[in-house]
Amino acid sequence: MVDLSIILAGFSDAFSVTNLLFVLFGVALGQFVGAVPGIGPIMAMAIAIPFTFALDPLVAISFLVGVNKGGLVGGAVPAILMNTPGTPDAAATALDGYPLAQQGKPLKATKMALFSSITGDTFSDIVLITVSAPLAILALKMGPIEIFALMIFTFSVLAGLIGTSLIKGIMAAALGLLVASIGSDPEHFTPRLMFGYWELFDGLALPSVAIGMLAISEILRRMTEAHGTMRAAITLDMSGDPDDRRVTWAEYWGCRYTMLRGATIGTILGALPGIGSTAAAFMSYAFAKASAKDPDSFGKGNLHGIAATESANSAVVGANLIPLLTLGIPGSVGAALIISAFMIHGMQPGPLLFEQQGRLVYGLFGAMIMANFVNLWVGQLGLRFWVKVVSAPESIIFPSALLLCFVGVSMATNGLFGVAVMLIFAVLGYLMTSFGYSIVIFIIAFFLGPRFEKSLAQSLALTKGDLFLIYQSPVALALLILAVVSFFWFLSRGKNAQG
Amino acid sequence: MHISADRLSGAFFLLLGLALYFVVIPAQVETPEGGNLAPQTVPNFISFVLIICSACLIVRPTDHETRGARSFVLGGAYAGVLALCIFVMSRFGFEIVAPFMSLAIMLMIGERRPLWLLGGAILMPLLIWFLVTYPLGRALP
Repeated sequence: MVDLSIILAGFSDAFSVTNLLFVLFGVALGQFVGAVPGIGPIMAMAIAIPFTFALDPLVAISFLVGVNKGGLVGGAVPAILMNTPGTPDAAATALDGYPLAQQGKPLKATKMALFSSITGDTFSDIVLITVSAPLAILALKMGPIEIFALMIFTFSVLAGLIGTSLIKGIMAAALGLLVASIGSDPEHFTPRLMFGYWELFDGLALPSVAIGMLAISEILRRMTEAHGTMRAAITLDMSGDPDDRRVTWAEYWGCRYTMLRGATIGTILGALPGIGSTAAAFMSYAFAKASAKDPDSFGKGNLHGIAATESANSAVVGANLIPLLTLGIPGSVGAALIISAFMIHGMQPGPLLFEQQGRLVYGLFGAMIMANFVNLWVGQLGLRFWVKVVSAPESIIFPSALLLCFVGVSMATNGLFGVAVMLIFAVLGYLMTSFGYSIVIFIIAFFLGPRFEKSLAQSLALTKGDLFLIYQSPVALALLILAVVSFFWFLSRGKNAQG
Repeated sequence: MHISADRLSGAFFLLLGLALYFVVIPAQVETPEGGNLAPQTVPNFISFVLIICSACLIVRPTDHETRGARSFVLGGAYAGVLALCIFVMSRFGFEIVAPFMSLAIMLMIGERRPLWLLGGAILMPLLIWFLVTYPLGRALP
């Protein structure tokens, strides 16, 4: 168990002035980029990671957490005002947010989104802080065989849950593992698939792959869509009634059960790798509508609709860190980016993190709680400003984002070779999304690839080359059975190529 | 004749899997003696998975529809400009290339307003240069 003094020291680090300022900056940046359709918090995190080199690890990770949390709040703004979600998570928010804005209540809608988002987020952070340390102790008892089985299970779940086809999900995971195998092999350190490029001996750099596939490929897609069109600025019709510009306590309290249900759904789905906040938001919305006395009012500007979706999608953020901190397995792209920030600063997420870097972990928890309060404060002050941000032209946003990606990756990889690799993966990402292959699975598989191969080699050493001896580990056997069962379950549900 | 997007990508990955298994991996992976896991085991297994899955995809594709040809041409054009910029940047540096890169992208998107063009091509690269050189103290590419 982690010592109380370490927990207190971690929290005191989190609440230092420097950390507070970077959390504030991260949240403000996150809300800003979330409000701009086309960038979003994931792209912003990907771009920001290389710029955090110079920072202290806790400050860097707190800043990225701030960007992620702020982005979810900001993403609701264009969804509500323009019916154009800034992030996929906010798509469900538009269902009731946009009609409410059309009725002259855009500030009421955005404020409800802000309050419910922070409520859901805080709920999931409390669950994360409470359960992650005991789970990490359990995870420490796992050996290479169990970790190998866990990875197989993770890949089967990811392939089944993300995207529209199980077969394509498996192929995306295979491609991620293939790309991860470029460089020296982990056991013999002999060159592998390098084609004479010795810059690849240590493998492909995560910033090049992640930024190329997540940020640049998305910018390419958006630029092809925006080509020749200059998006018009929006005009808002504000009601004169002050009550239409705020959320009263009675309105907030009236949504408490909706928010609690949304936060619970978001926390449960967020703790499972691969499901993501968009699914949580729509599921929460469906539950809220099904249990409402007036389901017909949903889709016409019902505050419960906004509360349900925003509390659920924000609750996913904290819960996503449960598999990351306890098992070292990222459950989402956001978590994978946070993992890469950990690695840039020389730390390996996983159960040992609590033992070796307990102070940092509890510092991160403190920063997450602080980020929620800062999110509320910045949101209250900034909403009127973010409303104007949604009209920023894409023609200036995309070239600026591209320049930041170029500079960020060249700093992270010490030269333009990494930038060229980034562009190759941007094109690959563009093609993969065009043909319906999940880049989320690809990146998670790429990240887990070296660990997968290492645990396989260690398992073979332990079983003297006979992997069938895996039945001697009940946990590994159970995980492999679960992997097979989930594979056939997803196949039978028709979420496959044959469907 | 209409070709399914899944059949097209399936055929590509089938060829990739076969090329990997028969040509690329034997040529590009060294085989040392001993150890628990040979360096080519995982890549071979992946190529095998790609071959099986892509064959399944060709036989029973989904109804996924890909973007139109115009999007691919435009995407290729943007990627080409970026590739050219990386090449030129390796010769002349970020400070020289960044304004032209910004301007080219903005013009390609369709921006024609002089003030926005000026802001994107001059102000943004200048801000990035300042951020990286002074507060971060790092070198630009």
